[in-house]
Amino acid sequence: MAPRPELHQQYDIIASFQPALHAPQTWNYENAPPLFRAYMHPPHDVGGQPDVPIRYEEKEEEQWELNTYVTCEVLGWKGLWNAEERRRRADNDLGYTLYMGMPYYGRWIWAAARMLVDKKHISLNELLDKIAEVKARHEGK
Amino acid sequence: MKANETTKKAAAGRFKVGDRVKVKDMPNMFYTRTQNYVRGAVGTIAACTYQDLIPEDEAFNFDGKLEQYYIVRFRQKDLWEEYPFDNDTLQTETPEHWLEPVGK
Repeated sequence: MAPRPELHQQYDIIASFQPALHAPQTWNYENAPPLFRAYMHPPHDVGGQPDVPIRYEEKEEEQWELNTYVTCEVLGWKGLWNAEERRRRADNDLGYTLYMGMPYYGRWIWAAARMLVDKKHISLNELLDKIAEVKARHEGK
Repeated sequence: MKANETTKKAAAGRFKVGDRVKVKDMPNMFYTRTQNYVRGAVGTIAACTYQDLIPEDEAFNFDGKLEQYYIVRFRQKDLWEEYPFDNDTLQTETPEHWLEPVGK
């Protein structure tokens, strides 16, 4: 069992993802309101939206990022998905919270895993067992 | 056949370089590569690029038709009215499906 302080810390972080204002919405179904367009907006279409300045850093890819890139390309060469499906999954289907919070290649590997489960190449529990096995192996080092 | 291969041929493109076009203001749902901020905007065809599946088909492995892609050039001031420089432009690429002709 995860220690309770860790569990509460997770819940606190999840709470910080939630919108500050939980106002019940009055939907006007006959004339799609700006609210509807905003909800349906694909997360990856970020152009024109306000953001904070970020510092530009020259940085090489991490090994796991290169591994992720190659894995996703091989899945493409094998015919399991194409680049547009990868973008749809990694830039849209994962939703705003993950899109804004995950690192770039974190989204790629999330999408690859989700695709393999969706298309029944692996079962979710096979994947979870393997992740747990690899995690335990690394922690034992 | 692999997901990223196709044997189809597209119809000839309906626009040429210099044509004025308007980006259709279609609903947003599930996936697109046509930015929200060009919807309804009028621009000029800057280049006819290649023919390919449209993103909304390819993203779902839908066996759709090939379409001509275009680079469309917009005045920044036509996209953002508060934009300060008259001569600046923005180019983006879109398939024919998203474009409609604008009268001279």
